[in-house]
Amino acid sequence: METVTDKTNISCKLGILSRPDGSAILSEGNTTVIAGIYGPVEVKLQKLLIDKASVECHYRPKSGLPGVEDRLYESIIRNICETSFYASLHPRTAILVTIQELQNSGQLISCAINAACLACLNAGIDMKFMFSAVTCYMNFEDDLYLHCASGKETKAMFVFVFDSTEKRIIASHTKGSFTKEQFEEAVELSKEGCEDRFTYYKKVLES
Amino acid sequence: MSVRKTIISNCEKKFLLKNLAEWTRLDGRAFDEFRPVKINFGKDWGSCHVSLGKTSVLAQVSCEIQQPKSSRPSEGVLNLNIELNPLAAPHFEAGRQSDLSVQLNRLLEKCLKDSKALDLESLCIKMNEKVWAIRVDINVLNYEGNILDCASIAALAALAHFRRPDVTSDGEEFIIHNVQQRDPIPMVIHHYPVCITYSVFNGGEFIIADPTLLEEEVADAFMSIGLNAYKELCGLHLGGKAELSPDLILSTASKAANRAGLIVQQIKECIEKDTQQRLLRQKQSFSILDITNDSVSGDIEALLDPWTASEKKHKKKTKKEKEHSNMVDTKIEIDKPTNGVELTKIGEGTVALVPIEEKDGTAIWEVSDSDDDDNDEVVVIEVPKPVVNLLDVNTDSEEEAVTILNADEKTKKKKKQKQKK
Repeated sequence: METVTDKTNISCKLGILSRPDGSAILSEGNTTVIAGIYGPVEVKLQKLLIDKASVECHYRPKSGLPGVEDRLYESIIRNICETSFYASLHPRTAILVTIQELQNSGQLISCAINAACLACLNAGIDMKFMFSAVTCYMNFEDDLYLHCASGKETKAMFVFVFDSTEKRIIASHTKGSFTKEQFEEAVELSKEGCEDRFTYYKKVLES
Repeated sequence: MSVRKTIISNCEKKFLLKNLAEWTRLDGRAFDEFRPVKINFGKDWGSCHVSLGKTSVLAQVSCEIQQPKSSRPSEGVLNLNIELNPLAAPHFEAGRQSDLSVQLNRLLEKCLKDSKALDLESLCIKMNEKVWAIRVDINVLNYEGNILDCASIAALAALAHFRRPDVTSDGEEFIIHNVQQRDPIPMVIHHYPVCITYSVFNGGEFIIADPTLLEEEVADAFMSIGLNAYKELCGLHLGGKAELSPDLILSTASKAANRAGLIVQQIKECIEKDTQQRLLRQKQSFSILDITNDSVSGDIEALLDPWTASEKKHKKKTKKEKEHSNMVDTKIEIDKPTNGVELTKIGEGTVALVPIEEKDGTAIWEVSDSDDDDNDEVVVIEVPKPVVNLLDVNTDSEEEAVTILNADEKTKKKKKQKQKK
């Protein structure tokens, strides 16, 4: 499969690991993550759900032990996956989503979410819709933009995750302070960004 | 993880052993052939991705200042940590130590830490008070056998690549300078030890280098040899159950020594290349193309290779003994344009392959010049310098076929390499 690069500065390759059922490496700018999916597989007894598959997510930082922030990423990604999967098709099973950070230069979480979606597509997990995450930054002059040089101070940061069918927000994560109008503006801007991502997904899958 | 480990079935096991008895491996490699190693560096200092065939690991070195151990007040601290990421195999559990991870950690420590590869005294800032603690995190990304070799290469390359920030002291205060203020300082590495792993089958009858996942599972034992570029032993471990003679261990270790030299050379070359890129300010994050391996089709090709080879073997079996030398001749002629080898007949059923040209770095395979003709075992030694290659051809037709098979494979590989170029 070819590596596809886009105007949004994303590049991606699917099926790069031989062990997982589906895998993807994705870089947005300089931020790079690898995502892998196993599933549906046998489930641990304490996590068994009789009516649907249980979704487990693991996020590994590049160095050190996973901290509180990494646990937060895990729970965000798990929630997104739970909403998008047709989990009821595979009761008493587990779907394991693992994300490994390779390089962090900002917008790591949206990169991880997008990689998870592409890995799911590669694994052939039944999904209700695709999802894509966009990180939106607001600087101290109250300007909103989608790309940010790493290490630059920002007033606020928004991460929105949209579904591919109706472009609804399925997850959002914010940092910093902002007004309601600014929030809505950020949603609109991110929605445009996510359209690009979905066309990019299609391009990746077709290649 | 919730998933139990996949069990190797008896038929898989038998198939593998049968193949070994015919001197073939499932992926078409020779017994002492290693999978190709790829080393890539990330944007950060000390960040390194290494793949050994399909096994891949990510290593990241980090540092912090801490108090030294009271027993070693003037030495820094080196910590190695292998993390068996659930990405690598479904039965790996995140954040939990397993027998495998403890063993790998210990073997790696033995090879890198206990051999004093890193100069720990240079990491001291103030005796008894402040030293640098270096931590190497190794995340296994894909488990296709032989994590140890891959991890040891990654850890060593990451350590060699890493640079710590400079620290100055005015007696009272310590100032850690950032990259803009002062150039970061590379590690002081005395020697470069790497682990080379071999799998042992049938109590030492077959010893194969760089085992894959299946080979690792089926093997009776594994032998892991830590060696540096000066061919000094930095650790030796024999795990599992196999009674090996000391001679066998020695001969395997000498084979591994050559391999270690090549690996260390590769690491140094990769670091040199990375430094050049940084000087030109071209360094980007991990390039996806560099990291990712070739598609699955390459894999299938390799798997099919032994089959086509064995078809030919059957044809050859029907031919008469006399034709044998002619056949080898034709094989050599295919070889000639690629590396210029000469064939000389030494005696009854024995031929010598003499390379004419000097070869740089690439391995030449020397088949054992053992004295006893009845010995069925063919020891293949990897030699970096050009050597006389002796093909020990037995009068036994089975054995003869085997030799051809190996030669056949080699020519194919050489051809492939040439095509790639």
